Amino acid sequence: MTQLILRRLLMSIPLLLVVSLVVFVLGSLVPGDPAQTILGVDATPDAVAALRDKLGLDQPWYAQYFHWLSGVFHGDLGTSLYSGEPVVTTLAERLPVTLSLVSLSTLFCMVVGIGFGMLSAVRGGFLGRVVDTLSLAGLALPNFWVAVVLVTLFAVKLRVFPATGYTPLMTSPFYWIVGLVLPVCALSLAGIATIAKQTRSAVLDVLDRDYVRTFRASGVSEWSVLLKHALRNASIPVASVIGIHAIASLDATVFVENVFVLPGMGSLATQATLDHDLPVIEGVALYFTVIVIVVNLCVDIAYGLLNPKVRTA
Amino acid sequence: MIRLPSVPVVGVKLAATAAVAAVALTACSGGAPSTSSSSASDKLTVQFTGPPVSLNPALGSNGESAIFTALAYDPLVYLSGDGKLVPDLATSWQYVGTGNKVFEITLRDGVKFDDGSTMDANAVVGSLKYFLSAKGPMVAHAGKISSIEAVGTNKVRITYAQPNPDAALSLTQYNEFGLIISPKGVADPTSLLKTSAGTGAYTFDSQDSVTNSSYVYKKNPNYWEPSAQKFQTVNVKVIGDPNAVLSAITTGQVDNAGGSANTAASAKAAGINILTAPFFNWSLNLLDRDGSVSKPLADVRVRQAIALAFDRASLATALGGDYGKPSTQDMLPGTDGYMSNDPGYSYDLNKAKQLMAEAGYASGFEMPVITTSVLDKNTTISQAISQSLGAIGIKVDLHVEATGMSQYSSGVVSKKYAAAIFPTAGSDMMQFYQQDLATGVSQNPENSTDPQLESLYQQALAAPTDSDRTSLYQQMSKRLEDLAWIVPIYAPQTLWFNGKNLHNVSVSATNPNPLPEAPDPSLAWTLGS
Repeated sequence: MTQLILRRLLMSIPLLLVVSLVVFVLGSLVPGDPAQTILGVDATPDAVAALRDKLGLDQPWYAQYFHWLSGVFHGDLGTSLYSGEPVVTTLAERLPVTLSLVSLSTLFCMVVGIGFGMLSAVRGGFLGRVVDTLSLAGLALPNFWVAVVLVTLFAVKLRVFPATGYTPLMTSPFYWIVGLVLPVCALSLAGIATIAKQTRSAVLDVLDRDYVRTFRASGVSEWSVLLKHALRNASIPVASVIGIHAIASLDATVFVENVFVLPGMGSLATQATLDHDLPVIEGVALYFTVIVIVVNLCVDIAYGLLNPKVRTA
Repeated sequence: MIRLPSVPVVGVKLAATAAVAAVALTACSGGAPSTSSSSASDKLTVQFTGPPVSLNPALGSNGESAIFTALAYDPLVYLSGDGKLVPDLATSWQYVGTGNKVFEITLRDGVKFDDGSTMDANAVVGSLKYFLSAKGPMVAHAGKISSIEAVGTNKVRITYAQPNPDAALSLTQYNEFGLIISPKGVADPTSLLKTSAGTGAYTFDSQDSVTNSSYVYKKNPNYWEPSAQKFQTVNVKVIGDPNAVLSAITTGQVDNAGGSANTAASAKAAGINILTAPFFNWSLNLLDRDGSVSKPLADVRVRQAIALAFDRASLATALGGDYGKPSTQDMLPGTDGYMSNDPGYSYDLNKAKQLMAEAGYASGFEMPVITTSVLDKNTTISQAISQSLGAIGIKVDLHVEATGMSQYSSGVVSKKYAAAIFPTAGSDMMQFYQQDLATGVSQNPENSTDPQLESLYQQALAAPTDSDRTSLYQQMSKRLEDLAWIVPIYAPQTLWFNGKNLHNVSVSATNPNPLPEAPDPSLAWTLGS
């Protein structure tokens, strides 16, 4: 298992380099001049040129990239062209929001999705069809629409949850969780649907196996058959889907954070892109990549725990 | 069907208890986890659509974004919501001699900066000079200045290279120039991104703020007019999405927000107070007045025909609903230069066609026009303008610049387009001239000049009295109407949503961007039922 983790971590280094290079090149190719954006459309060409020189934007893209990269190796992700704040500081403020959102959504999807999937597989019949239908609906409904409906119903009409804003966990755990209820629900609908459907199929497949019949014939309790044997074996494909959901929800934070006005990395990425703030875009991309690597690593570890053969592969 | 194993009773009880507790906790919250509360009169939360360009006044931007700097930095002159110039750090001001070139201000005594140092003439001179040297976005609004000098300990004299009748206006909070930074702040401008260094009613608190998201200002304990400090904290929240703005204002999470015509009906239905003010004109700027891109535009009859081709009343209703007004002059009603006795450009298709025929273009022509979807979302305004021109045979080849404002500006000055669709300043003739008519500005890429217009402008700059200047501005409006260089179409109203408990907010055509703080207690916003 340790070798597996080390191998994965080593493989992540070139991945991070490639991602940072691609983002930098693409960011440089996007039309737009941060100096012009900062100074406005009425700025004189001299003022724009002076600011470009000050920000180092007059250098070729590769020179800017290597300058940025050398900073990264010293723990410096550069400075925002717009706010003048170190990117590391900006990201440190934003990371807990996005991590809260993604981790709670993943947890919520796991519990509800696996629960629904199990229930559907065990009960079958009408309930199974209901779960199937709800799964399709969950996949079909666009997240942004779900978000707007949730805000209108639960925040504006019923006033049970806040419409916008974020309270840090350390400030108030209660308000932290209450403030994240609607964003997490908006983010989780598709994930719940996918996980429920995957769990149902996998559990049904396992329950049809000979060894399950043997367990039952031997008088092993139904709870034990379901949770200890069937769910464990069905969990391998489900773990993949959970990992995919966690990664996909990173993308979805971009709009969820904008709708619910959460100061996370998604909204930061949007603003930085509009501002052509390349150091911030790079920082966000790097953090997102690290999160993806960590999620994949967790999935690999889960595989290893669920299936001993993987550990030696 | 497989029989589901029975669940232990204790599990059911725990689950039920947890569910009840969750519902109870949620009900208790009552939507309370807001970081704001309209009922708490010590805390004001306002919305702004984007992050500040900079927290350093010398690098900050104008308009409503001035809130980020004006809360912590007092201006020399305060522009009230109804457009009046009110003494702030300057208790009085006047031009010295004739010609509006030498402007002298007298400073308030006993004012201290955040760091405890005294605000005096030397500090003000240092701040004004730093503003000019920083070359921020607002530097052009300061005017062409020859010198800034201290006259004694409490007077500052600004000498302009050319007459500037709007010197006092340039020193208000909306132009950033007049926001005074302490000598310590001027010596270390980088520090201004984390701490404020002004004399304002509030001080910036970087600890409680989140960059690009929430900017917190706390009451300044050393403010020179404590009765004007109505709040313990002011939180400026960055919310860009109009629907999120609507949710935030209707649930009381923010007390004041910039509104949108699309969400105004819902806000009104929710009992939100809506304030409106005209601000600018959506205009068709006929850039190619020499006819180098589109020859017909060199003929004034063609330009006048274009000006007559718009059914502005219908367009305003279609594009702005209840919050759009037809605009027949470059200056808006209620502003200096508006001609109340002149209807301006009317809608007269027959006359427009006749003018086109007289100019030799009865069958019309084609012209390339540039617009930007950054400002004209979905290009509905641009398409409406283009379609109207079709009625007199002009076929518009519309180029939509979607990538950003700098690309749009590059397109405007590229001399590839005969016209541009863009908002033009409608509340101040001098600003309109400097931004859209002067030679060297992006909205006048051909550097078109008109001797009569230039003469009127120069006379207006040096006008000895306000009434003389108003008269000259009106003559400029008339001349602009005859030239038909820039054709106004309609004026969208700036909307402000105010919570039920927010009071004393006012807006006008000359100041459509209200601010919570004011040097006079009677002008500051208040919260209360």
